[in-house]
Amino acid sequence: MFRRNLIAVTILTTAAGPLAAQQDTQPPEPAGEETAAQATTSGPQPQMQVGADWPYYGGDANATRFSPLDKITPENVANLEPAFTYETGDMPEGQAEGMYSPETTPLKIGNDLLMCSAMNVLISIDATSGEENWRFDPGVPNEAIPYGATCRGVTYYIDPEAGEGDACATRVIQGTLDAKLVAVDAATGTPCEDFGENGTVDLWKDLGERVPGWYAVTAPPTLVRGILVTGAQVLDGQAEDAPSGVIRGYDAISGELAWAWDLAAPDQNRNGPPEGEVYTRGTPNMWTTGVADEELGYVYMPMGNSAVDYYGSNRTQAENEYATSLVALDATTGEEVWHFQTIRNDVWDYDLGSQSTLIEWQGTPAILLPTKQGDIYILDRATGEPLTPVDELTDLPKGEIEPDYIADSQPVSAWHTLRKDPLEEKDMWGFSPIDQLWCRIQYRRANYDGYLTPPSADRPWIQYPGYNGGSDWGSVAVDTERGIIVANYNDIPNYNQLIPREQADEMGLLPINEVDQRAGAPEGAGDPQLGSPYAINVNAGWRNDVTGMPCTRPPYGGIRAIDLETGETLWDRPLGTARRNGPFGIPSMLPLDIGTPNNGGAVVTASGLVFIAAATDNLFSAIDIETGETLWSVKLPAGGQANPITYEANGRQYVMVTAMGHHFMETPVGDEVMAWTLPED
Amino acid sequence: MVLGSICLALGATLAAGGLWLILLGGSWYYGIAGVALALTGVLLLQQRTLAVWLYLATWTGTIAWAFWEVGADWWAHVPRLVAPTLILLLILSCIPALRRNS
Repeated sequence: MFRRNLIAVTILTTAAGPLAAQQDTQPPEPAGEETAAQATTSGPQPQMQVGADWPYYGGDANATRFSPLDKITPENVANLEPAFTYETGDMPEGQAEGMYSPETTPLKIGNDLLMCSAMNVLISIDATSGEENWRFDPGVPNEAIPYGATCRGVTYYIDPEAGEGDACATRVIQGTLDAKLVAVDAATGTPCEDFGENGTVDLWKDLGERVPGWYAVTAPPTLVRGILVTGAQVLDGQAEDAPSGVIRGYDAISGELAWAWDLAAPDQNRNGPPEGEVYTRGTPNMWTTGVADEELGYVYMPMGNSAVDYYGSNRTQAENEYATSLVALDATTGEEVWHFQTIRNDVWDYDLGSQSTLIEWQGTPAILLPTKQGDIYILDRATGEPLTPVDELTDLPKGEIEPDYIADSQPVSAWHTLRKDPLEEKDMWGFSPIDQLWCRIQYRRANYDGYLTPPSADRPWIQYPGYNGGSDWGSVAVDTERGIIVANYNDIPNYNQLIPREQADEMGLLPINEVDQRAGAPEGAGDPQLGSPYAINVNAGWRNDVTGMPCTRPPYGGIRAIDLETGETLWDRPLGTARRNGPFGIPSMLPLDIGTPNNGGAVVTASGLVFIAAATDNLFSAIDIETGETLWSVKLPAGGQANPITYEANGRQYVMVTAMGHHFMETPVGDEVMAWTLPED
Repeated sequence: MVLGSICLALGATLAAGGLWLILLGGSWYYGIAGVALALTGVLLLQQRTLAVWLYLATWTGTIAWAFWEVGADWWAHVPRLVAPTLILLLILSCIPALRRNS
């Protein structure tokens, strides 16, 4: 540690100019000094295969969510029966009530299912019986919950040097809500002593003041060349002076920092900031899941926005350069190779939420990038050059808040977008003419010039699509055999308004470091945005304030199959029934497809089935990939806002999803891990 | 007649909101339908059979307007048709009482 700080100090003193000029100055490489990165990264390591196993969060190393298994077919899927249910026992207590959104997807390796619970309890269970093998609780406190108690998954690592039966020869690694990397032995659940401090690496290091809940890891780290790469969720909308969005790589064996990519000071902070300094504060963060190309040694990180989402004039040039971009980093050096920006000067919270997927596209190694705006891009994996056409929207409205900051033009995918036409007054909805009329009045009172209407304070503005997507963290699945992308998506506006600082002060809007209790309100519902002249109020999903009903007509979400070759829609349908929705929160029990908001992705199997939960009707369904028709569905005991998996054990194919609910999606919370399989012949 | 009071209240609400929407440059339907519903309520309170005819005309107009605006999108018809049709059924159920009193 001390040695690296010394290097960093050397770099700082030799680099010319103030910090802001760091962008353009190339500090000399410290001669003769081996950085940690050079010491630890190796060549490409063998990749695990998807099939009987589900070894990566996204299924295979490419994150296609495509399984070659075909025992469960469109013909027999209706015969699926419950195999087992495992309960993690992790349910909200005390101040965690109303803040649970586990979003958990297990890995399956050998005979074990490996997962984390909402509060980061690491668990291994038997893949055929659901019997618990071991559990390890790192003791995450409730106060560490950022926006929701979430742990989307874990990372599995095989130590190439270890012998059979060595401690931690195979390890399960997670990032935690209280910002730690935790590594345990995959066989026993015992912390790996050689990893950091007794199996733990503290990610708060060099971030500044430790404020529980402000900086939290909710996604599995991305493994590339023996380096674990992680970003973190930095709670949105609190203050411009927020923890850094730095992306860091750690040696999977020792937990040593291999490199850091601080987009505002990439060279200076490559091996950690100089003594007494911290990683650049307020920079765009990466809260979702990365993907890696082991051969190239690149890791692809979908960046979010700066700490304050809805006001940009105070952002630095570096922030504007990288925010809401897919960034390719060379995992052997921590240097940026290329980046592709999906929105310029983002004032809409259009974080890139989906894990990207590696594909071969017309003979080129490519990466498929879904966005919250609904645009789907296909880029050259090595260079970031778009392989599919990108259009420019020009003459965009500038608004009155910061017209000089709002971009003149924005990229859109001309190949495929999930985005729908702009809203009209007649799209307003309700359960009676009266609440519909109230929504129509709201529509007319708001600022709305279609897609990318800039923020306003004098009146509300309509943001469509809202920050839930398009594509969110559930990402897309790609049937690489049939050449079909399966994308579930949200189709929901937000109804937003900036609040001038004086008014925000009167309302008592305070950032996380100045309040004791937070109530798990929807993101942006009264966020202070300290440092900027405006706080923000977001009505997520634009709900009628009296009835709780959405102001816009259904569907609110759908699922679509897209031809990977041409970008054409093969089929498109609403996802989710109306059984759990109704006015004043009363379930209507109507078994009709309405299309609900959805979070969580799909799995596609070689037999032509799409398995998906995600919707707020708490159903887990199998859909025919050829027709889009639902062939089987089952009621879950809680919300299925998680990506399912499929695997094989003892010659039988299983499908699995966790039913754990989601506070923001307003589905019931649970702790069930559920598997289905076909009856024995 | 409780129904008369309900129709008057709902109609007045719709008419007031409908006027606001017209001033904002939006649809004229709500203002017109609101006035018609309020009048229906007044006529019901006066126990006049004309109420039925007026509301039948309002409801028919509503159906025509709804299909003109959103076509055959059934989910979009929920706010447009369910409640007005419910009111129609209630008013039709009042016909015997109205006849006795006229």
